[in-house]
Amino acid sequence: MSNPWIAVGALALVGLAIPLSMIAISSLLRPSVPEQGKRAVYESGEVPTGDTRIRFNIQYYMVALLFVVFDVETVLIFPWALIYSDAVAEFGLGPVLGPMLVFLAILVIGLGWAWRTGAVRWVKSERAEIKTQL
Amino acid sequence: MIAGGLALAPAGAFVLAALALFVIDAFSPGKTSGGVLAGVSAFGAVGALAASGVFLLSGAASGGIELFGGQLVVDGMSLLFTFIFGSVTALVAVASFDYVREMPHRAEYYMLILLAATGMSLMASANSLAVAFVSLELASLPSYALVAYLKGNRGSVEGGLKYFLIGALSSAILVYGISLVYASTGSLLLSDVADAAGEAAATYPGVFGTGVLMIIGGLAFKTASVPFHFWAPDAYEGAPAPVSAFLSSASKAAGFVLAFRILLVGFPIQSVVGAIDWVLVFQILAVLTMTIGNFAAATQERVKRMLAYSSIGHAGYVLIGLAALTGVGGASAGATVLGASMLHLLVYGFMNTGAFLFVALVEHWEIGRTFEDYNGLARQAPLACVAMTVFMFSLAGLPVGGGFVSKYYLFAGAVGAGVWWLALVGAINSALSLYYYSRVVKAMWIEEPIEGRTIAHYPTALYAAVLTAAVVTVFLLPGLVVFDGAAFDAAAALL
Repeated sequence: MSNPWIAVGALALVGLAIPLSMIAISSLLRPSVPEQGKRAVYESGEVPTGDTRIRFNIQYYMVALLFVVFDVETVLIFPWALIYSDAVAEFGLGPVLGPMLVFLAILVIGLGWAWRTGAVRWVKSERAEIKTQL
Repeated sequence: MIAGGLALAPAGAFVLAALALFVIDAFSPGKTSGGVLAGVSAFGAVGALAASGVFLLSGAASGGIELFGGQLVVDGMSLLFTFIFGSVTALVAVASFDYVREMPHRAEYYMLILLAATGMSLMASANSLAVAFVSLELASLPSYALVAYLKGNRGSVEGGLKYFLIGALSSAILVYGISLVYASTGSLLLSDVADAAGEAAATYPGVFGTGVLMIIGGLAFKTASVPFHFWAPDAYEGAPAPVSAFLSSASKAAGFVLAFRILLVGFPIQSVVGAIDWVLVFQILAVLTMTIGNFAAATQERVKRMLAYSSIGHAGYVLIGLAALTGVGGASAGATVLGASMLHLLVYGFMNTGAFLFVALVEHWEIGRTFEDYNGLARQAPLACVAMTVFMFSLAGLPVGGGFVSKYYLFAGAVGAGVWWLALVGAINSALSLYYYSRVVKAMWIEEPIEGRTIAHYPTALYAAVLTAAVVTVFLLPGLVVFDGAAFDAAAALL
């Protein structure tokens, strides 16, 4: 008879009320002791070093892109491999193996091209070159 | 009938050409001769054009061939539009030979064009909302990169960024709309959506109606229709001119073919009218798009930007095809006006591509962008200016090119479907468009030439592309009959 969404709404209300009440109650109870150490950046117990905004090497981006390609490939290959024997028994080798080989061939062409055009060549900056020579 | 896999030959031609470019470029990256790249691209595009043209005119796929469990369908409409994509891609590939001759990353340029064309031909065949979204992304992502191809040029990068941001937003809107439709109908396959649409519209009018409205919004982005047209002037103006030609002709047609199929097959107006009256939505969109596009075009000082706004205006004319499906005059009246929309996109594929390629020619000569810079150009390049004159008058709807016939069909079809006022708005806008199109013609032929301007050489490939587009535009004036049967049949098959 009652709408099941009432329970969800109640849960949401409780979920909001708990953290809000905890903040409110602790602000009533706690003593106020201002201290420099409390305002420092917290970095899992380590002494904080540097800014939060650092520059990543742009080449990680290319690696990440290539990774996504093969990540998706894995997602498609796993279920295909799981049903492979049954599917071959039912439809024959060609219709089961062929499309996957075409798919892999397209990816290999793409990877080969990316390799040849230098997507996986790690270019070092001049500063890094000097550092390794020292 | 043709066998299942063979029906995808037009899309396959694009894919194979793109993969061939990857292999060819891998031998000596960045050093492959421009002629080979342009040749392979044009060969693939002509292959797609020929295959789709033969299938279309032989009626081989007239009944509609469903592939992959109905995810893709090859029918008259998909073949007609693949024909458009093939012709535009071929023209752009040939013209780009001269345009990108000296630039880095030429191979990537042609690959992206072919991959975008692949996405567009899949959009024409998409028969499920999931395929529609994926193919739309396949067409969009290369387009963003192509607009920003001149990466040292501020306008190009700005246009690319705007296109990407608005494109990402529209994709999000589209996919959210798809999720709402899926939630209310329980299927992504358009035929199943259509079966469940009547019940969904009655049970969940809010969810379903919002979903359809959001899908329409996502498609309006792709067709550069109001209210999602803001990216178009900047992207078309900043992009390399052949890319502008490609986007404003082929990409726009791809958006329309997807809109036609999703709305007509997935959301038949009889069953969804209770939740959302999309015919009314398109009537509003058509009037706004036509009027805003044409009035904005009339105030421009730069030719390429004028063409960008005129391209928005033409999207408005094509929208009449959906806006006139009121059911007045029966199915035949609907098929006439929808078929006229397709024919207009076919003619537009040649005349608008040609106009932008003429701008590419002017950019190649580096003689400026405004109307004044075109003054007296006809004395120095008479042949190209004759072609441009044909494009301008055909775009305006004068009987020198196929644009006259397709506009005539469109407006007559609208009157036949009982929305005479849409035809009236279209006719008034066409009359206005004659003003700004003839400004280009006047500058080229009547104004005194600019002193001291010299044109060193006449690029062969660009000339060939511009003149081919002009010849086909003129030929389509009597020759549109070749296609009109196929277009009206394709439209009737959808209704």
